[in-house]
Amino acid sequence: MNNPTRKRGMHRRDFLSSTAAITLMATTSWPKVVFGAEETVKIGFLAPLTGPVSAWGKPGLDGCQIWADWVNQAGGIMVGGQSHKVEFIGYDNEYDAGKARTGAAKLIKEDGVKFIMMLGGDTWPGVQPLAANENMLVSTLLPSDLTPETDMLIAPCEVHPIYNVTGVQWLAENYPDKKRAVICAQDDALGKPSVATYLAAFEAAGIEVVDEPLFFDPATTDFAPVMTRLLSSDPDILCLDTSYADYVHPLCEQAFQQDFKGTIISCTADFYPKIIEKTSKEFMEGFIFQFPDFDDPALNADQVNFPRPNEFYAEYANRYGEAEWGAVSWEYASIMDLWADAAIKADSFEPADVLTAMKDGGTGKHAFGDADWWGEELFGINNALVGDWPVVVIEDGKAVIKEYKSIPAWWAQHKDLLIKHFTDLGQMWNQRG
Amino acid sequence: MSDSKTTITVWIFALTLLAGLLVLPQLLSYSQREIAVFLIINVLLVVSYRLMTLTGEWSLGHVVIMGVGAYASALFSKRLGVPVPLSMFLGASTAGLTAVVLSFPLFRMKGFYFLIGSFAAGEVIRLIWKYFTFPFGGAKGLNLIPSFPDIGWISFFDPVNYYYLCLIVVSVSLFILYRVERSRFGLTFHALHWQDKLAESVGVNTFRYRMLAFTLASFFAGLSGALYAHYIGTVNPTRFDVEEMVYVLIWAIVGGTATFYGPIVGVVALTIVNDVLLRALGFDTIRPMIYGAVLIASVLFMPDGLESIFPKLKRLMMGRKTEPATKSEAGEIP
Repeated sequence: MNNPTRKRGMHRRDFLSSTAAITLMATTSWPKVVFGAEETVKIGFLAPLTGPVSAWGKPGLDGCQIWADWVNQAGGIMVGGQSHKVEFIGYDNEYDAGKARTGAAKLIKEDGVKFIMMLGGDTWPGVQPLAANENMLVSTLLPSDLTPETDMLIAPCEVHPIYNVTGVQWLAENYPDKKRAVICAQDDALGKPSVATYLAAFEAAGIEVVDEPLFFDPATTDFAPVMTRLLSSDPDILCLDTSYADYVHPLCEQAFQQDFKGTIISCTADFYPKIIEKTSKEFMEGFIFQFPDFDDPALNADQVNFPRPNEFYAEYANRYGEAEWGAVSWEYASIMDLWADAAIKADSFEPADVLTAMKDGGTGKHAFGDADWWGEELFGINNALVGDWPVVVIEDGKAVIKEYKSIPAWWAQHKDLLIKHFTDLGQMWNQRG
Repeated sequence: MSDSKTTITVWIFALTLLAGLLVLPQLLSYSQREIAVFLIINVLLVVSYRLMTLTGEWSLGHVVIMGVGAYASALFSKRLGVPVPLSMFLGASTAGLTAVVLSFPLFRMKGFYFLIGSFAAGEVIRLIWKYFTFPFGGAKGLNLIPSFPDIGWISFFDPVNYYYLCLIVVSVSLFILYRVERSRFGLTFHALHWQDKLAESVGVNTFRYRMLAFTLASFFAGLSGALYAHYIGTVNPTRFDVEEMVYVLIWAIVGGTATFYGPIVGVVALTIVNDVLLRALGFDTIRPMIYGAVLIASVLFMPDGLESIFPKLKRLMMGRKTEPATKSEAGEIP
């Protein structure tokens, strides 16, 4: 019998509890419904999408979405006589090895991805045992993750930090009067090998490093004392190494406020228009780094393998904003070019087949030109693709490619120096943990 | 309710919870099992932290102490070849021993000064790990740490098996921590928190009791670190930095520290929100913002922590049970 005192319809409490239950079920239990029967190949994107290192993850995923849209619009990837759409599945590993392991487990065991792209660094050791168990092909932007045991780990785009030698080489050739450098970096797995590389590059170029490299803690928020200490040696070159974007910006601000007049060289200058806003166009004039904006006409050179770079940049700027362009915006997409070519060549998406096709002949089509699979002397395995790399300089508030320089040519001349400094800082593959 | 009824209720609840925890991995996806492993390790970490707070001192070095256990256990097994189960115990003991040594400078301070002192001590330990490439691996830390050895066909690489291993270790640890709190020692810890001068005046050696709480808390934090290290296979100084410590504080504050179960509720609820719900809802990149909003809301609307919900629920349920009788007695129409 109906209770006359009871209101019609649903109580607020019932509504809230049933809504919560439905949300929970929908998000954690129900399989995702896929309309249509189109074949899809899934690619994992396991990188920091939040936190201080997210500048080297999130823009890469954004770039991959453009890549996937273009490839899918063109009909997908033809393998096994059938066209396959590409779907990226992202997982934020927060630059933590534990979260990276969880993410890899989800991507491999639940999503069934055929390839995982990572930033690498501190997160790779968490993924390594699972990737080895599952025979999963994984890419890293940091070849310092490579060891002889990591045969399914490749560094097909960035040979960080080795390409930094090209910036120093260009600086020495174009500013022969600048001879006194100082270096700072965050004290972590990214900073140290990069410092070793810059030390070797400066020594090869006849530039004196006038003070011990300054390693600051990654938790540093006040960069005034860091800059004061650096400038106390009266340098004419300020090297910011591979500092995260969260450090490059305040370091530049401090250099500006403390009236530094020399040249700044850095691995990256992510979101550099924001640095110019905080300093000045004049101050940032001549800033040397390694990552071009892809609207640069120099990217249309014949040697460049990255397809339609200027259109890619325009689309990126259109979707996410020009100021959001960063060092990795194009890198993961360029890795996908290599992977897709290899999958088509192998006529398979199976990781081992793709890897074999990718490394066939010992050469590969790197974004900036044809390159060699290399790295045995430094990493114990030839799984890094190395060739030319651009030197980029800020001119009139805009990043401009000044020259492509050959990393293998530098290596052929100065490899002993690089190995010496890597060894001194404990960065050779056989010295790591 | 009589004492015997309360005891029966507690036992029924405990057995139901245990049964639930035993069945849990079978209901989860593979990646959720991974999350469950880390969650259960974090439960031990945050409950051990609560033991420390019983004496009234809040430390900012607890995660570093967890790291001491992780590093020590990894080094014992990797460099000296000590069997992993034994190295875990040795790692936890090293963390406890570190606490004994740190007690001498740290317990010369109280309150805010202790907080800052513990942070400084933790940073010194972290910088030692970074500075000495041998034996600590420097900034990159230690990799390829031996995993827990297989027992017959049981491989501890599988998250389900490691979950059960952690469940046993953590359950025993929680039982010990619970008994400590309920013992004469635990009562003394509470006394130090609220009336340390009075306790001293009746002959309680406050330094020794604070050291005891710190050492016990550190032993179990070290054990949680060892469980972590031998599962993930890698440790580095960044993993144990102050940012991670903030998470422990958040779990403790949001859950509440007045009861034994408060921090457990905090870590479980926030882990489910952050690592399961928000990810499943597709909020990967804005999780920190939503997580922050949840924290602010919980502090604003539940200043006594999530643990304060349970007595309210209990009162509500008791009230409902007695309500009809009361109304009938009063002659009201239901």
